[in-house]
Amino acid sequence: MAELKLLFEHAGNPAYQTIEGYIAKGGYQALDKALKMERQAIIDQIKASGLRGRGGAGFPTWIKWNGLPKEKTKRHHIVCNADEGEPGTFKDKQLMEETPFLLVEGMTLAGIACQGDAGYIYIRGEFIDAAKAMRKAIDEAYAAGFLGKNIRGSGIDFDLYIHLGAGSYECGEESALMSSIMGERGMPRLKFPHAPLPTIAGLWDEPTLINNVETFCCAPFIVNKGGEWYATMGASTKNSRGTKLFSVSGHVGKPGNYEIEFGTTLMELLEMSGGMTGGKLKACVPGGSSVPIMTAEMCDGAIIGYEEMMQAGSMVGSGGCMFLNDKTCIVQFIWRTAMFYAVESCGKCTPCREGTKWMLQILERIVKGNGQPGDKELLLDITSQIDGRSFCGLGDAAAWPVAGAIKVFPEEFDYYIANGKSIVGSPLPMVPA
Amino acid sequence: MHGHKTFDSSALPRALTERPRILVQPLESMAAVAETRLVTITINDVELQVPKGELIVESVKRLGLEIPIFCYHARMKPVGMCRMCLVEVGFKQPDGSVRKMPKPQAGCTLPADNNMVIYTDTEMVHRDRKGVLEFLLVNHPLDCPICDRGGECPLQNNTIFYGPSTTRFTELKRHLPKAYPLSQYVTLDLERCIQCGRCVRFTEEISGDAQLAFRFRGSNMQPSTFQLLDFDSKFSGNVIEICPVGALTSAKYRFRARPWDLETSPFNCLECSNHCSVWFDHRAGKFVRMNGRTNEAVNEEWTCDKGKFGQDWINDSNRSVKVMVRKGDAFAESTWSEAYDQIIAAFSGGHCAALIGGKQSNESLFLLGKLFRDGFKSNHLDSRWTRHLTDDALKLAPDTIASLEHKKTILILGTSLADELPMVFLRARKAWFKNGTQVLNVTAKANEADAFATQSLRYDEDHEADVVAGIRLALEGAADDAFALVARRAQVSAADFRAIAKELGPDTAIITSRSIFNVGDAGDVLDGLQAIARKTGCTFNCYAVNGNDAGAEALGLIGGQGSLNTREILEACVNYRVKALWLFDCNPFDLYPDHHLVNDALESVAFLVVQGSNSSSLTPYASVVLPSAAPAEQDGSYVNMEGRLQRGKGMLQAPGDAKPSWRIFSELLLRTAGGTPYFNPSEILQAIGQEVPSFAGVGDGELLKSAVAGGVTA
Repeated sequence: MAELKLLFEHAGNPAYQTIEGYIAKGGYQALDKALKMERQAIIDQIKASGLRGRGGAGFPTWIKWNGLPKEKTKRHHIVCNADEGEPGTFKDKQLMEETPFLLVEGMTLAGIACQGDAGYIYIRGEFIDAAKAMRKAIDEAYAAGFLGKNIRGSGIDFDLYIHLGAGSYECGEESALMSSIMGERGMPRLKFPHAPLPTIAGLWDEPTLINNVETFCCAPFIVNKGGEWYATMGASTKNSRGTKLFSVSGHVGKPGNYEIEFGTTLMELLEMSGGMTGGKLKACVPGGSSVPIMTAEMCDGAIIGYEEMMQAGSMVGSGGCMFLNDKTCIVQFIWRTAMFYAVESCGKCTPCREGTKWMLQILERIVKGNGQPGDKELLLDITSQIDGRSFCGLGDAAAWPVAGAIKVFPEEFDYYIANGKSIVGSPLPMVPA
Repeated sequence: MHGHKTFDSSALPRALTERPRILVQPLESMAAVAETRLVTITINDVELQVPKGELIVESVKRLGLEIPIFCYHARMKPVGMCRMCLVEVGFKQPDGSVRKMPKPQAGCTLPADNNMVIYTDTEMVHRDRKGVLEFLLVNHPLDCPICDRGGECPLQNNTIFYGPSTTRFTELKRHLPKAYPLSQYVTLDLERCIQCGRCVRFTEEISGDAQLAFRFRGSNMQPSTFQLLDFDSKFSGNVIEICPVGALTSAKYRFRARPWDLETSPFNCLECSNHCSVWFDHRAGKFVRMNGRTNEAVNEEWTCDKGKFGQDWINDSNRSVKVMVRKGDAFAESTWSEAYDQIIAAFSGGHCAALIGGKQSNESLFLLGKLFRDGFKSNHLDSRWTRHLTDDALKLAPDTIASLEHKKTILILGTSLADELPMVFLRARKAWFKNGTQVLNVTAKANEADAFATQSLRYDEDHEADVVAGIRLALEGAADDAFALVARRAQVSAADFRAIAKELGPDTAIITSRSIFNVGDAGDVLDGLQAIARKTGCTFNCYAVNGNDAGAEALGLIGGQGSLNTREILEACVNYRVKALWLFDCNPFDLYPDHHLVNDALESVAFLVVQGSNSSSLTPYASVVLPSAAPAEQDGSYVNMEGRLQRGKGMLQAPGDAKPSWRIFSELLLRTAGGTPYFNPSEILQAIGQEVPSFAGVGDGELLKSAVAGGVTA
C-alpha cells in the first residue's frame, strides 16, 4: 500500500496554517456539526471509528472520552500530550507546526463531548516553533469565535492554553505531565488501582482527559465524515483502524514523516521512505526507542497494526521507526539508547533510578572493550528486575530495548564482550557528555 | 485454597488458619482509611475484613505479617517510591478463580477493595524484594561499621531479612559529599541516601515549612534545601529519626555512640509544657540523645528541635555539685546538715517566701508547699512570672492537643505556636492538612502558622487588648465608627476584625499562651477572650508555656487569697517584710520582666537560698546554694499544659552532692515539722492524690480532674 494522506493532506501548505485557509479546505465543519450533536453521539462516533491512542499505548480513545462524568460537578480539563520526547519520533512536531488547527479543532471537539472547561497543550520545551505555530492558531481561533466564550453562538465555552515543558522526557508520562502542569516536580503520580483514573481525578483532582496530539487531530475527520467511514481504513488488520503517522529515520533514503493506513507492511514503509542506504537492512526499531528491536527477518512480512506488530515481536508504539543497516553495531546502539533512559529517569523509584544507571555503566564498559563474561546475563537479569517493578512506564521502556536486543542479537553482545570490539568493526562513536 | 505453589499456610499462626473470617479492630496508626465500610480481602489465603481503602501495608499487620518498607510512613501520604513493598495482587472472579495482575503492586499505595487477593510470600515477591535491595545497595556505601545508623538501620535490617547476600555490582559507586551540614543540627551524608523522600515529605506534610526538596533527577537525585540555604526549621530533628538510612545524622550525636552501647529509657521532655514522650538515650551515665516516642495524645511521634537538641545542660560542666554556705564574706563548700541548720534558723518564723520555676516534679513542688506551710508557717509561694497573674490554672485549657484536630476553626491569638507550644502547632497544622480546619493567625509578628492560616492578621505590638476589643465589637455588630479607637491603636481595620469574628462559632478553639499575660492590659485581654468564648460558644485555651508550670498551679503553688504573689514577694523583700527567700530552680532575671525590682529584692533580702541543678548568676546574692538533681536523675510526675499527668523515671546518677529536690524538702520537713518522712516519689504522689482533689485517682497519662477537656468553657 502507498501513503494515505489524511491528517497530512494539506501539510506543508502555508495557507492551511491560517484560519481562512483551514476553513477553505474543509476545516471546522466538524465543529459546526458537533455543536448540533448530542454529546454522547460524538463519543459514539469516536467509538465507531475504532480510534486508539496514538501516543504509544494504543488505548481505545472512546473509553477515555466516555470516562469523564456525565453529571458535571467539577471543572473538566482536556489535556493534549505534546511532550513528544520518544527518541525517533517527530510526528507531533510536524502536526503542530503545519496543521495546528487540526489540533485546536480536535481538542475543542473533545471539550464539547466531555464538557471540558479548558484545554491545555503541554508542548515539549524544545519545540519552540511548534509552540509558536500553536499560539498563532489559537489566537486566530479565538478571534474568529472558534474558542473562548460562546463558541459559534452555541453557548458553549472552551479555553485553550499552551504549557511549555522544561526538557524532561518523564513529563510525557501522563501523570508526570499533570504534575508538571500543576507546578510540581515532573514525577509520575499514583495510578489506578492505587488512585482514581485521570478521567475521575486528574488535574487538581478534577476529571481530566489526556490524549496525544495525533489522536486529537484524528477527531475532526471522524466527527465530520463519521466513525464508520474512518473505520474503513485499516480494516484488513485485527483491531487497528485509520491512518498512522510514522517518523522514519535511520539509514533510509528519504527520512521523514509518512502517513500510512494500518495494514501496510513495514517493508512498504521502508520503500516509501527511500529504501536502505549504505547497506542492507539489519534491524528496525518500529515504534520509538523503547519498543523491542526487530531483526531483518522479523521485519519481513510484518504488518503495521497494534496486534500485528505484537505478533511480529515489537510494537507500533509512538511510530518512531528507525531502520538500521548492516554497518550498525547493535551493542553501541543499545548503549546510546540506555544512556538516554539513564539521563531521563526522574529518580522517583528505585528500579528505574538505580537500574538504568547500572545498565548504562555495564554497557559503557562493554563498548569500551572491558566486557566480562556474564555481563549479558547480568544485563538481562537487571532488565527483569526493572520491567514491571518501576513506578511508571519509563522503567519498562528502559528495560525493553536492552532485553529485546540481547534476545534477538545475542551473538553481537557475545562477540563484543569476548573480543572487546564490535562485530561489524564500527568504531566507538562520540556521544555528547 | 487457590492452589498457589509457594505459599505455605503452616507458616501462619494456627488460630488464623482455623478461623478464616476475622474482623480485627482498626489499628491506631492507620494512615489512610477512606471509609469505615468493611471489605473482604484475602491475604496469603486467609480471608479477612478490613475498612475499604485501608492500605495493604497496614492490612497485613492484622495477620501479624509484615511487608518491608522504606519510603512508607504511616503519618504521611504514601508515595510508592522505593518499591520495597511489592506484593502480588489478584482479584477473585465470580467463578471463584483468581485473576492475578501481571505486574507486582506496591503494598503501600494499594487501597483494600472487595475481592482483592494479596500474596506476600511468593517466589516472585521474594525475588522482587531482593532486586530492589540489590538496586538500593549498588550505590550505597557499605560503611555500616562507622555509620551512626548501623545497628538500628532499616536498610541493614531489610537487607539481612530479604536482601541478596552478595553484590553483582563491579562498577564505580556514586560519590557525593559525606558530611554536608544542612543546619547546625542536621548533617547530610549524600552517599548513603536512598532517595525515599521521607525527609522531603516531612517538611511538606508535617512541619509544613517545606524546607527540603529533591534536586536533579535520575541517579543524581538528592534531597537538599532550596539553593543550599540553611535547613531552617523548628522541627528539623525529626528527619534524622525517620531517615531509613544513615544519610541524615544529628550533628550532636554524630560518631558519639553505637546504638547497642546505649541504654534507653522512656522520658518526658520538659523544655516546654507540651511534655512530649521521648526516648532518653544515655551511655555510661551521660545523656547522649533524645528521640521521639509514640504518644498519640501528645506528640504522636515528633519532637521539636528546642527539646531534642536542648538537653545538653544535663551533661554541662556548669552543673551545681556542692552545697555552698556563706560564712561572713566568704562562700565555702559545706555539708547538707550545716546548710539545713542555717536555713531552718532563717526561715522559721514565717517571714519567708519561695519563688518557683522550671522543670521540677509534682512531688518536689508538693513537698516544698508542705515544707513552707507546715515547717516554715508561711504561705507565700508563687510559680508564676508573668506581669499579669491569674489563678485560673487548668480551667483555661479545655481543649486537649488531640481534640484540636477536629475543630472547624482555630484562632491563634498573640502567640507564636511553633516557638512556645510546638506540638500544639503541629496539631493545628495537621488539623488543617488532614481535616481542612481553618486557622486564623492573629499575632503581632509573622510566624510559621502563616504558612497555612486562612487569615493572618497583624497588629501593632502590645495591643492585644485592642485586638480583642475589636473582635468583640465585630461580634456585637458595631458600626464602623465604633472601631475608631481600637482600629487606630492596633492598626487593624474594622473589616479585618469582622473577617475574623464571623468565623468564630461553637466549633472554634481560641488558643493563646500564658505569655499573653506579659502584654499591656493583659487582664482586659483575658476578660475579653472569655467574653468572646461565652458569646460564640467556642472554647478558650490559655495554655501554660514552661516546664511543669501547670503542675505547680494545679498544686496551688500560686499567690493570692491572702498569700503574696510573685510581684508582692519581690516587693516584700525590698521593704524587708520577707526576710528569707527561696529560689527554687529559677532565675528571676531570666523570668521576670522587671529587672530592677529583682535586683533590689535579691540585694535586700537577708537570707537567700538558691536551689537548682545548674550554677547561675545568682550565686553572688546567695546565702546558701543547694545542688539538686535534674529531671532525668529522679523519679517524678509532671503535668502538661492540657492537664495530663505523666510519670517519668530517673535513670542517671545526680552529679556530686546533688539530691532530688523532693528528698531535700522531705529532710527539712522532718527537721521542722517532724512526722514520718516521705521515702520515695510514688509515696508522695499517693499523698498528693489524697490531699489535692484534682489529682485523686489520676493515673499515668490521664488528665487531672480540674482539667476539663472538652467540658467547661471559660
